[in-house]
Amino acid sequence: MKKIFITFIFSAGLFVSCTDLEVTPTSFVTEDNYFKTQDDAVASVNAVYASLSLDPGEQSLFGRNLYFLTDMGSDYAAAGVSATNPQVRAMSSLTHDATNDRVQVAWRQIYAGINRANVSIDNIPKVAGTEAVKTRLVNEAKFIRGLLYFQAVRIWGGVPIVLHEPTSIELESLKSKRASVEEVYTQIISDLKAAENLPSTYPANDAGRATSGAAKAILAKVYLTRKDWPNAIAKSREVINGGYGYALFESFGDIFAKAKKNGKEHIFSVQFEANQAGNGSSGNNFQATSFTGFTATEPADIISDVALFYDIYAAGDTRRDVSYAKQLLNPATGTLYTFPKPIFKKYLDLTNLATPGNVTINFPLIRYADILLSLAEAINEQGAPTPEAYELINQVRRRAFAKPINTPDPTVDLVGLTQTSFRAAIQEERKKEFVQEGQRWFDLVRWGTLVTEVKKVTAKNSVSERNNLYPIPQSERNINPEGLPQNPGY
Amino acid sequence: MKKNLKIYAILFLLLLTAGVNAQNTTPLIQSKLDGTIVDDVTNQPIIGASVVIKGTTHGVQTDAEGKFYFQTGQKLPYTLIISYIGYKKTEVIVDKNPVTIGIKEERQELDELVVVGYGSQKRKDITGSVASVPKANLSQVTSSADNLLRGAIPGVVVTQSSGRPGASSSVRIRGGNSITAGNEPLYVLDGILIYNDNNNSTAGVANAGATVNVLSTINPADIESIEVLKDASATAIYGSRGANGVVIITTKKGTKGQDNISYQGYFGFQNVSKRLHIMNASQWASLRNDVQASIGQAPSFSAAQIEAFKTSGSYDWQDAIFRTAAPVQNHQLSFSGGDEKSRYAISAGYFQQEGIVIASDFKRISLRANYERNYSQNFKFGVNANYSNSVSNGIGTNGGAAAGRQPNPLVVALYQPPVVPIKNADGSYNLTNNPYATAVNGIVPNPINDLENTTNETKINRILASLFGEYKITKKLTAKVAVSGDVLDTKQNYYAPSTTTTGAGTKGLGSVGDRLVSSVLNENTLNYNTTFGENHKFSALAGYTLQYTEGEVVNAGANTFVNDANTYNALQDGVPVKPYTDAFESVLKSWLARVNYSYKGKYNFTLSGRADGSSRFGSESLWGYFPSAGFSWNITDEEFANNIKGVTEAKLRITAGTTGNQEIGNYLSLAQMGSVNYSFGGTLYTGLAPTRLANPDLKWEKTNQYNVGLDLSLLDRKINFVFDVYYKKTNDLLISVPIPLTSGYASVLQNIGGVENKGLEIGLITENIKTENFSWNSNFVFSTNKNKVVAIGNGVDQFFPVVPNGSLLQQQPVTVKVGLPLGTFWGYRTNGIFQTQEEVNTQPKINSLANTKVGDRKYVDTNGDGVITALDKGNLGTSQPKFVGSFSNTISYHDFDLNFSFQGAYGGKIFNALNQQLEISTLGTNANVTLDDRWTPTNPSNEIPRATSSPLGIVSERYVEDASFLRLKLITLGYTLPKSISTKLKAKSIKFYVSAENLITWTKYTGYDPEVSSYEQNNLYPGIDFGSYPNSKTFISGLNITF
Repeated sequence: MKKIFITFIFSAGLFVSCTDLEVTPTSFVTEDNYFKTQDDAVASVNAVYASLSLDPGEQSLFGRNLYFLTDMGSDYAAAGVSATNPQVRAMSSLTHDATNDRVQVAWRQIYAGINRANVSIDNIPKVAGTEAVKTRLVNEAKFIRGLLYFQAVRIWGGVPIVLHEPTSIELESLKSKRASVEEVYTQIISDLKAAENLPSTYPANDAGRATSGAAKAILAKVYLTRKDWPNAIAKSREVINGGYGYALFESFGDIFAKAKKNGKEHIFSVQFEANQAGNGSSGNNFQATSFTGFTATEPADIISDVALFYDIYAAGDTRRDVSYAKQLLNPATGTLYTFPKPIFKKYLDLTNLATPGNVTINFPLIRYADILLSLAEAINEQGAPTPEAYELINQVRRRAFAKPINTPDPTVDLVGLTQTSFRAAIQEERKKEFVQEGQRWFDLVRWGTLVTEVKKVTAKNSVSERNNLYPIPQSERNINPEGLPQNPGY
Repeated sequence: MKKNLKIYAILFLLLLTAGVNAQNTTPLIQSKLDGTIVDDVTNQPIIGASVVIKGTTHGVQTDAEGKFYFQTGQKLPYTLIISYIGYKKTEVIVDKNPVTIGIKEERQELDELVVVGYGSQKRKDITGSVASVPKANLSQVTSSADNLLRGAIPGVVVTQSSGRPGASSSVRIRGGNSITAGNEPLYVLDGILIYNDNNNSTAGVANAGATVNVLSTINPADIESIEVLKDASATAIYGSRGANGVVIITTKKGTKGQDNISYQGYFGFQNVSKRLHIMNASQWASLRNDVQASIGQAPSFSAAQIEAFKTSGSYDWQDAIFRTAAPVQNHQLSFSGGDEKSRYAISAGYFQQEGIVIASDFKRISLRANYERNYSQNFKFGVNANYSNSVSNGIGTNGGAAAGRQPNPLVVALYQPPVVPIKNADGSYNLTNNPYATAVNGIVPNPINDLENTTNETKINRILASLFGEYKITKKLTAKVAVSGDVLDTKQNYYAPSTTTTGAGTKGLGSVGDRLVSSVLNENTLNYNTTFGENHKFSALAGYTLQYTEGEVVNAGANTFVNDANTYNALQDGVPVKPYTDAFESVLKSWLARVNYSYKGKYNFTLSGRADGSSRFGSESLWGYFPSAGFSWNITDEEFANNIKGVTEAKLRITAGTTGNQEIGNYLSLAQMGSVNYSFGGTLYTGLAPTRLANPDLKWEKTNQYNVGLDLSLLDRKINFVFDVYYKKTNDLLISVPIPLTSGYASVLQNIGGVENKGLEIGLITENIKTENFSWNSNFVFSTNKNKVVAIGNGVDQFFPVVPNGSLLQQQPVTVKVGLPLGTFWGYRTNGIFQTQEEVNTQPKINSLANTKVGDRKYVDTNGDGVITALDKGNLGTSQPKFVGSFSNTISYHDFDLNFSFQGAYGGKIFNALNQQLEISTLGTNANVTLDDRWTPTNPSNEIPRATSSPLGIVSERYVEDASFLRLKLITLGYTLPKSISTKLKAKSIKFYVSAENLITWTKYTGYDPEVSSYEQNNLYPGIDFGSYPNSKTFISGLNITF
């Protein structure tokens, strides 16, 4: 009997001895078993790109969240009845404060992307793999990092520069200080210059990766924003004449056509695939917020003032009906439905209106038309409009009016403008060209016309000089008040 | 068969006699004795009492009529010792034959044995706060064991999340200690330690909705007793799992000498306890006209149409959701008994409940076997095994774009315009004729059709089994080894056909999932009991335990089906969505010890502690130590107390100790790489990015608890009073602490911050009347708990938890703020309605609503800056009640007994999100009938604003409602057939009863039910009602027979 009991205890003892408190997870990759192979390096850089298009539980940076700052916070876009987030409405009326969650989310998304880039840049050199591939991957990460800092410095001014992944969870080591605007631009230029060494093209199955042309294009915009006209001109010309094969699509609508993704006009686009939310990737969110079905219900994202922004297109300007829809064909009834007010159209997938939410249309972060207009702007600012500048803006206009792009056409071509009127023409052209492309607020701030332009919209007359920057998120300042002084006016 | 039984019985008796004979070498019969044992008050015969002749081993048991018989060598007179559970052990000198002996019911409550952690103790010797659920509570009709705790014990608050059959509930013992980790108590079922994590009953299938209560896998009818350990002295022996209190559940065991067969069954029906007042067609048509006018549209309905709707053309969608007289039934057959060496109890149960909402139900089959055998004088072993199989069909949540305002089909049904028909003329569901909704793939979703046709099934199989062996090494030293297993398998099946809200956009949506969690527990304890002289009693317990848990999850889904014929059983026919699998394991090793010392029974000391090593924590802090100390003083044992009149017993208890909480999930101390994909050239590629920073210092939450208690029995124990005050401070809270976002991370899980709970508990058990034919006992329970967040770390004093639902997510109705309790609602105060344009021009308006007009709602500008911003929001109260109480009564008169209990809570709030949404006027959804009194130029309401199209949902005091209630929870009338009749029917007892649950509720709350929590066990946003499954009134009649 004692034996029985001893056997009992003994078997229990066997069970005891074979378990350990250190358990190794099998359902996810830990940092310890990562960054060994070139495949790990590739996957880590894929994740850097994904910071532009995916943020589970939130609208992704270029999937719509940055739109609140760069478009709804400008003049032409506003929050409609279906926008139920008071923070979005505050953004629309430019009454947002430092606690605004959209600003905070944008800050978080940008720095999450920067951190992913830092992780790749810090770790890729140590993996086993081909040096050429590793260098390319590091430069891709640097491209995204430069791109994100370029967004940040324009939105908030001098932001903290973080260039390495955190190595400790100690609060003090995680705090950082706002750098000067100058320092941030130095960093951006250094990253983008490294990215100029990227390949100029990729195989079709890698289409969408950052190229050297993309790095040069962003650099051109950096110089333009800094009013460094010579460099802006030089870089733009490198993009145009560098043998990258960029050109305008003949039809303006092709920019947003699913079949023309990563086409000749697209220099760098954020890649979206629809209906893959469950697959760890997310589509472009604009459709559900621009279109609420064939009903009178106002969508969340609307045009603020029809007279100021819709009625301004001249007859024959194809951009109006690509950017906005006054009427749409209801596939269920086969009839045209007329909306009470034109709705945004660029990101509507007309073949799949029934599925709200994600669409497969890319977000054109920088496209060839932008470079043409940037070069025209820089040339004009450097002195006066030159024939080259006229040709650049006129190419964009001819395409808008569906004319042969390279054939001068007196019906649409601009001629005989002063520096001031040429500047006004560029500004007018950009307004019509880049609806919902995340340009408007940056443009107005660069031109110094934000307050005067936005004031024209009645519902947005709260605008003031403070709106030339967004506030540093209050939650961030709560943790790190010394390192992050607030922007004026917030 | 009957004959055989008799023969066996005779053989058995012969053998027994032979045994007796063997002991008495000279079988000389000196006397015979016929006796009856009865209750000295009621004169009812006592069945199964043990009667022993003092000084001998000769003992018998009374039969079904309370009779016994001795034929013995002893001469009369001799002394009989009579013992029976619940009665005083009685010694009687017998000098005549026959004899009737009355025995007194045991009121010596302090001598009863109470189950405590890893053993049992005399109530008199206990230092900690340990309470038992009264027997009357245990016989309640419910689908789940945790509901038996409702209103039973001071300091225990049970909130059922909804009225859905098998719904989960949250149990809080002395308030919530934790902000983000688990707050549920530890359950110990027949020695098996279980954390009631309702996540274990979901396989993660999308849109499946509320989880099934894991404890519903245990048949409440199998439960013999429930003890609740509340203070640190009692729970420290459970170490890192003791902080939230411990509930010890013991299932029914057989008893020596009696073989019982019993059947218990009931049948009943349920109806929804309340309906909401939503608009009829006429009211809604008029509202819609006003909404259209507000946005410059021509009205859709003419005055004549509005008038006509009063008589026809109005459809009651709410009515279509509910079943009337939804049946519920339960059947349980049990066998129990035992002899000198073995005790057994086996049972089988079947429970079936149809929900009051169409297409919902719950079904459970449960089997149980308990067996215990004395192998020898020193060695005993036994087994407890439970198996249950339950199938639940529930209400799913809505997926896709509908999810924001329309969390589930119930809510969608309430939103349906009452002018839209539910069914077509041919009886099929109306899926096309609804001009107020957007058709998706040609279908206008119909919530009644959604409910009827969506498959949302959760099947749970659970085996809970334990084996133990107990060996007396010496008289004083006992060793026990127990091994137990808990296997919980949850399979979920979901299919939303292409005609439903969720399935329309994707042309059908199916998914299946399975979660298998198995846990093995080994516990080895040594128990030492001794006395030194008369005055010193000493006992000690030491043990080593190990628990290993592993889980596996698989989940697969598909959409875009050609047709809806094969549903989730042919996912391969659709377009697959990415599958999901997960696995986890955890190990908990523990050393535990307890020492009890008692001096003269007057002064009792308890020291206990546990050392826990948990794999869930960081590599730098794997082990935690949880000590406690307790002291109790039986004042009435002192000389000076003998003369205090009326005081029968008085005991003072003082305890202090530290317990922990390790319910944070697995692997959270490790850095994790998560997959984030990106497409190149139209193809998705896997990306991996760090999603969490490592924290090697991550450890348990630590709760220090102090308790002072007084147990008082007055007037010969007619009045029993238990009083406790406590203070608990939880430190090292596991919080996702916000860190600078510039690090690339939003937060890191750290031990930081604190929560405080202090409270007072009163339990009063009284015997109001007791005569031969009439008795009345009552149990009054009262408790109050004050909860406060003390710190949340990193210079932050307030954060808004993310409520996982579209429209609530942005409103941020709940906050966690230092100085305020958890579950505090945060919003605006209202200030009437703008009545004139001048008011609009001059008074503060919400800054994000640029177009405020006359007839809109005013809010209070609390900071006086002239504009309503988020800074004007403030504390609107907490979901935690100021106090809760219950009052239960048992009255018996002859063969009748009546039980009724009231339960109530005072001072808690509910954020009525459903009503908030129903008071939003839109062009396409129905509204609360309150909007009929909306502001119009001719009806200058100062309460309900004008009709507008889709105004924002704003958290204001209007929707944070008083959830105080008093409810006649249960009333039961029973009748036990007189012995004379039941004996004729060959039964030991036969009882009939009828019962009603939730018969009457007094409350100001305007929603379905004030006991609600749409987000189930979550600590961060309790008390939100966003269309939870409503509660029901239940009427049942039942029968209990024992053979």
